Amino acid sequence: MTPGPAGSAVRGAARPGGARPRSGRTGGRARALFRFLLPLAVLTALWALVVEVTGVPMRVFPQVTDVAAAIRDMALSGELVQHLGASLRRVLIGSVIAIGTALPFGIALGASRALSAFFSPLLRFSVALAGIAWIPIATLWIGYGDGAVIFIVWNAMFFALAYNTMLGVRRIPTSLLRSARSLGAGRWRMFWEVLLPGAMPSIVSGLRVGLGYGWRGLVAAEIIATSAGLGYALFLAQSTFSTDVIIASMVIIGVLWLLTDRLLLAPLERNTVERWGMAGGER
Amino acid sequence: MTALVIEGLEKVYTDAYSGEEVVAIGDVSFTVEQGEFVSVLGPSGCGKTTVLNAVAGFVDPTGGEVRVDGHEVRGPGPDRGVVFQSHALFPWKTVLGNVTFGLRVQGIRRREREERGREFLELVGLDGFERRYPHELSGGMQQRLGVARVLTNEPAVMLMDEPFASIDAQTRRRLQEDLTRIFEKRRPTVFFVTHDIDEAVFLSDRIVVLSHRPSSVQEIVPVDLPRPRTWRAAVDAPAFRDTVARINDLLRVDEDPEAGEPEPAGGGAGA
Amino acid sequence: MAVRTPRTRRPVPVHRRVWARLTRSPAFRTLGPFVPVVALWWILAESGLFPPAFFVGPDVVAAEFVEMVRKGVLPGYLSDSLERLVYGVGFGLLIGLPMGFLTAMSLRVRRALWPILLFFQAIADIAWLPIVIVWFGFSLTAVTFVIVYTIMFPLMLSVVSGVEQVPRELVRAARSLGAGRTRVFFEVVVPGALPSIATGIRTGLGYGWRALVAAEIIVGTSGIGFMMFDARRVGDVSQVFLGMIVLGVLWYMLDALILAPFEKATVERWGMVRSLEEGDR
Repeated sequence: MTPGPAGSAVRGAARPGGARPRSGRTGGRARALFRFLLPLAVLTALWALVVEVTGVPMRVFPQVTDVAAAIRDMALSGELVQHLGASLRRVLIGSVIAIGTALPFGIALGASRALSAFFSPLLRFSVALAGIAWIPIATLWIGYGDGAVIFIVWNAMFFALAYNTMLGVRRIPTSLLRSARSLGAGRWRMFWEVLLPGAMPSIVSGLRVGLGYGWRGLVAAEIIATSAGLGYALFLAQSTFSTDVIIASMVIIGVLWLLTDRLLLAPLERNTVERWGMAGGER
Repeated sequence: MTALVIEGLEKVYTDAYSGEEVVAIGDVSFTVEQGEFVSVLGPSGCGKTTVLNAVAGFVDPTGGEVRVDGHEVRGPGPDRGVVFQSHALFPWKTVLGNVTFGLRVQGIRRREREERGREFLELVGLDGFERRYPHELSGGMQQRLGVARVLTNEPAVMLMDEPFASIDAQTRRRLQEDLTRIFEKRRPTVFFVTHDIDEAVFLSDRIVVLSHRPSSVQEIVPVDLPRPRTWRAAVDAPAFRDTVARINDLLRVDEDPEAGEPEPAGGGAGA
Repeated sequence: MAVRTPRTRRPVPVHRRVWARLTRSPAFRTLGPFVPVVALWWILAESGLFPPAFFVGPDVVAAEFVEMVRKGVLPGYLSDSLERLVYGVGFGLLIGLPMGFLTAMSLRVRRALWPILLFFQAIADIAWLPIVIVWFGFSLTAVTFVIVYTIMFPLMLSVVSGVEQVPRELVRAARSLGAGRTRVFFEVVVPGALPSIATGIRTGLGYGWRALVAAEIIVGTSGIGFMMFDARRVGDVSQVFLGMIVLGVLWYMLDALILAPFEKATVERWGMVRSLEEGDR
């Protein structure tokens, strides 16, 4: 429960009693990182302890050191780079195509009341179906390989992103559209300077949801449809019961997603939606 | 008999970001008698709401004491009902559900609490809306419900935190007259926080004028207006105009353009 | 509302009146858009643009549907999939909701658990399949585990953010009306967090749905996902199409018959969120 009136008084340079400013910004950041990593470190220690004490066989659950060794081996043999590279390339290509197609589509739909009313149920239907359910048909059409996986990533993201973009445009206040038009904004300018930024909160949350779907679609598609990538590594390890490699791959997948979230989505949100003081859409 | 005693109240905050200490309330003392209507008035950001929050038990004072009916305040309790600026009605309860919430806490049986709830809804003019949900009411009706919810609970003091600040001017006049009428009829003890001088003078028996932060009591102004009061009579009464003018002067004396910051509405989900 | 009876009665052509009533009915509004899509699909299939080994028309899929129902294969697979989903969702809610509230109510627990929550949510549920298969073999337990996992984390995250969004004034109001901690929890915190929880359930179900399909494809013993992948192996497009449509319709029914009515009766009734349809208007 932070007190209400305190903040404003400080900024208003009232009489601060005993001023003892805390360490600078970098200090706060290091502290936050520490706070974030500490529970994970405790969890890892617990894992090591439990495996040590109960003595579960490696076939059921590997020790921390085994997993670390597996990651090291994968890194040394070049497998890690190969799988990581394959997965990242597919996600990147798939999401770039998805953003490039879904944003214009969503904005076009949102700009027209009739179109958005018509497409709304269709899109909602497709969002539920997108991604994994397309794997059989995608592999049938495109064959096993890169193409099918990229198609799945695109497909998983496209509908969520298009739907959220459309909702975002629909929710731009009419007064904002009217004022832009009365200031003489043309079609092009409306798109870049009103519709796109106005729909941004919803687009960002769509991107978050979409990337989540895309990421899951990638792993599933790689398990089924390729001979490289993190999903494939998982699948291969499962067939030989190498639990150390399975857990290692899972940790890598988790870290990758956290990095995507911290380094890509969070800054995007900070620099657009939060910077402009707009509320985020639903997540 | 004295319902509320505030003695040497002090509140110092530590800013969460900079770690600096801010004195919100320096030294505030006054009392409210039973059946009395007392307003607290002061410049923006002077900590009026903090005084109310301390009385309500939402914040712990760093110094001094608050006593209600002779007992020292520790945390929120049903003897001090609060009417919030943001209504703070429960969206998931009907009008009747909101108004009888306090009685349900007391364990009063359904039939009796609904009967009493209806009585107070009628008092504030909300009879016939029992089954509606708060979002279906207008802003003015929502605040009537906020008042009824507290009155039904029959607290020792009713605390009102700028209850009409986010309501349009026309409706506000009506609500003020209705509040006066209810007050004159049932004589609850009211502690009212506002920044509107006219409102304070119209409603109150006495007005506590606070100074700038760190706030202390600048002066306690009695209001010498006959009851029952109406706006029509008040605006014509010399006593009304004189009191308003006097408070205006009091507040202007140490007017400081640098300090003209808006007061956050009690923090959280205000307005 | 008052527009219903216009003062000056001009004769309205019958077909227009019928059309107006039709377009206003909810069934038409939700199903209507699918009519041109199906028509387009049919035309595409009939045009012979794509070889029938890759693309079949709605008539073929409908025939396949009748055939599969007659043979009893489709009902069997469908009930298998639904059983897994019900188990997964049931346990997911049973574990996720209390865990979420536990995390949300205590600042210290939240600080400690938050990073762990984020990390486990980050490991995409499907990545758990291989290890789960190692543990439990190709079984119902394996599939249920993955679905529970999938649903639990979005649910917990949404409960925490929902509890954080409950206006402080509401808690204060309840406390100053005499409510104790338990009552505040059940009568203020839980309903106050409901909009966020509803979103969380929706998201969780969406993920769980995908996990189910993926698990059935990979674990592969029965179910709609298995049917589709099995059909793909032998190159039977019509069954793949049928599977996709069944999945879509099922989700739609889940949404229309369970999720939407629940939201309509609670958070929308209380005016805490606008309905999707209203948002579109």
